[in-house]
Amino acid sequence: MILELLAFLVLAATATLTALAALLVRELVHTILWVALFFVALSGFYFLVSAPFLGVLQLGVYAGAVTILLLFGVMVTRKRIFAREAATGLGPAPIALSLLVLVILATAATTVPSGTTQLSGFPIAALSTALFNVYGGWLLLLGLVMLPALAGSIYLVREDRE
Amino acid sequence: MTALPWTLFAPELFLLGAALLVFLLDSLGIRRLELFGGLATVGISIALLGVLADLRFAPLAGLATVPAGNVDVPWSPLNASLVVVTSFGLIFQAIFLTSALLVALASLSRRSDEKGAAIFFGLLLFATLGMTLAALAADLIYLLLAIEVTGISTYLLVGYTRRDARGLEAAMKFYIIGALSAALSFFGASLLYAYYGTTNLATLGTGFVSMFPSPLGGATGIAFLGYGFLLVGIGFKVTAVPFHAWAVDVYDGAPSDVSAFLAGGSKKVGLFAYFVVFLVPILASQTTFVCPGGPTPTCHYLHSTFGIPLQVLFGLLAVVTMTAGNVLALMQTEMKRMLAYSSISQAGYMLIGLAVATSPAIAGATLQIFAHVFMKTGAFLVVAAVAGFGIGSRIEEWKGVGLRHRWLGASFAAMLLSLAGIPLTVGFVSKFVLFSAAVQAQGWFVWLAVAGLLNSALSVFYYARVLRVMYMERPEVGSAPVPAGAVVGGSDPPALTLGGIGVGRATAIGLATAAVFAFGVYPQPVLAGLQMAADHLVQLL
Amino acid sequence: MTDLPLAGFVAVSAVLLGIGLFGILTRRNFILLLIAIEVAMNSAILNFVVFGSYWNSISASSVEGQSVAVVLIGLAATEVAVGLAIVLALNRSRGSINVAEATTLRL
Repeated sequence: MILELLAFLVLAATATLTALAALLVRELVHTILWVALFFVALSGFYFLVSAPFLGVLQLGVYAGAVTILLLFGVMVTRKRIFAREAATGLGPAPIALSLLVLVILATAATTVPSGTTQLSGFPIAALSTALFNVYGGWLLLLGLVMLPALAGSIYLVREDRE
Repeated sequence: MTALPWTLFAPELFLLGAALLVFLLDSLGIRRLELFGGLATVGISIALLGVLADLRFAPLAGLATVPAGNVDVPWSPLNASLVVVTSFGLIFQAIFLTSALLVALASLSRRSDEKGAAIFFGLLLFATLGMTLAALAADLIYLLLAIEVTGISTYLLVGYTRRDARGLEAAMKFYIIGALSAALSFFGASLLYAYYGTTNLATLGTGFVSMFPSPLGGATGIAFLGYGFLLVGIGFKVTAVPFHAWAVDVYDGAPSDVSAFLAGGSKKVGLFAYFVVFLVPILASQTTFVCPGGPTPTCHYLHSTFGIPLQVLFGLLAVVTMTAGNVLALMQTEMKRMLAYSSISQAGYMLIGLAVATSPAIAGATLQIFAHVFMKTGAFLVVAAVAGFGIGSRIEEWKGVGLRHRWLGASFAAMLLSLAGIPLTVGFVSKFVLFSAAVQAQGWFVWLAVAGLLNSALSVFYYARVLRVMYMERPEVGSAPVPAGAVVGGSDPPALTLGGIGVGRATAIGLATAAVFAFGVYPQPVLAGLQMAADHLVQLL
Repeated sequence: MTDLPLAGFVAVSAVLLGIGLFGILTRRNFILLLIAIEVAMNSAILNFVVFGSYWNSISASSVEGQSVAVVLIGLAATEVAVGLAIVLALNRSRGSINVAEATTLRL
């Protein structure tokens, strides 16, 4: 019980700090490193709330594939790989707006019962059965999202053979 | 769970089949714009006929693929199906397909050696497919995913010219806003799921807690916040002010045919989402629900506590959107930007239907959406056609267009008059129905009608200004230069032409113009259908 | 089976959404915008997973939340791929991916 709470606190701190660091550091390549850590921290959350399948998926898709994609994007779009992000002044308006959202959400969070709650997992088989049965429509739609995304992306980045 | 027959998806299967065939032929090396365009047009037409048949449209009723017993079945929270067939959804399908059909027809008249024809028509079909699927939604996640099918296709559609930095920049802006909107919508959905333990649209917002007491105790704040995030997230798609800024840049930067589809078609899917997501909590605060199967301890409805606040929010959103759209449209000097702002203000009128939330108001808003398809798609198609003559997007370049290109000018004038709401056009009928429904509902809704009327009067100024430029002003002698490489489809006209523009484009513009007058003079059948669908919808929820 | 404070998870996801929005509003580099959007999207996925487990512990067969999370992870990855395709095409046609430099279109 104490251990789990400790793990939660550590993961929460890691997730928020890495997310902030990813957006604030000046080297784009460091950004990618922080983002990878952020994804790993989230996957830790999923293991913690007894959703191991989601944890593995998060590691594979986000910490693995998406991170590599982003790294690839940085490398291809920058002439100098370690180029710095053009410094943008932090205007007061965006900070105020983000803080406002945060305050509203935090107030809402306080209405959630503050005691600990029991979270329990289930056999992964149940998840896959549901995914292909009751919620099969979602998977089909995901496929329909991916198909035009694939065709269109390939078309956009393909070199003309002329 | 009632098993729906797979034939329910017959129209969507035709769209999917056409899209896959387009990609297949392209990969086989058969690259003819006429072929791809023909496939798309035929696929969309068949789908449209199928939907009309499902609506029991008299001459086609025999072809219906959905058994009558499966349409407008009361929408039970205990029924966990992801899709539901309502006449309201079918009408939206018909609206989406009409817009796609007009754009596909017009695009047949591109240069036949134009690059990217396959990707253009393929993505157009996929975007249409996403919209028609969204119109069947009975589940919030299903709805958002279907919108995302449209979203991803349209981001790529805006940038499909690939070499054109303007189009790609528009695609990038559209993508960022679209992804932000998706993230906010899904966050809202996650809060609603946290509160209700389900994503079934009929359950959300009613306070019905499936089998179990509310998990978060009295924390309705979470649910209200969830609706707030959905309001903002979908608001980006609807181009409601203050979430509208992207639309003008995107419509301006995208190829005109794509703008026609975005303004006339794909933003309507956001409005549909607004209706199916928010009508439940709004109506739940007005109705007493009867528990299916009689009251049992495991089934209880509470009255929704945030129906009224949501109505007020939508009322504000409607007034702000139409006013800001019209005021900004007044200041534009470019045709496409003016049309984009006019499109934003029209979205404001449509939101009145949601704020009032009575069945006549819903019917009026749907008629407004229906009318907007013809007016705005048609207007953007005319802009594209006129660009083929080397006349750019700045309004001053349009001097004398009405005199030099009589038919195009007359069509464009008809669209603008209809947008302004002049009698004998469909724009007048839809505004009349919508505003009178708001007046009927009494209370503070009357002020929405007043705001709408004032805004309509305001909008006449900028439409009239364009008409004056088109008909009263003579072009300077020796002007009308042809900008180098101005427009897609501009320099090398297609083989078949009609009055200087392609037959497909001429047909599409002609159809839209005819519809503006036909439904303006004789709206009764459409109006009756919409009224019936709205009645059903209000009873279903 | 674990006992954890639900409010803590809601707070974490709220903070993550705030960070994501902050990034979207202040950053100008397209890659950073993508990352900010992913952070916001992940806050939604986290909510779905946590409350999926929560609802599952109440009614033993509720796998809805985690099913949504599976689909959303796929969706978010697809979005990143499309974003990168657009940015690569733009980079090739113009040579910069700073959104602020995309000034051909007026704001």
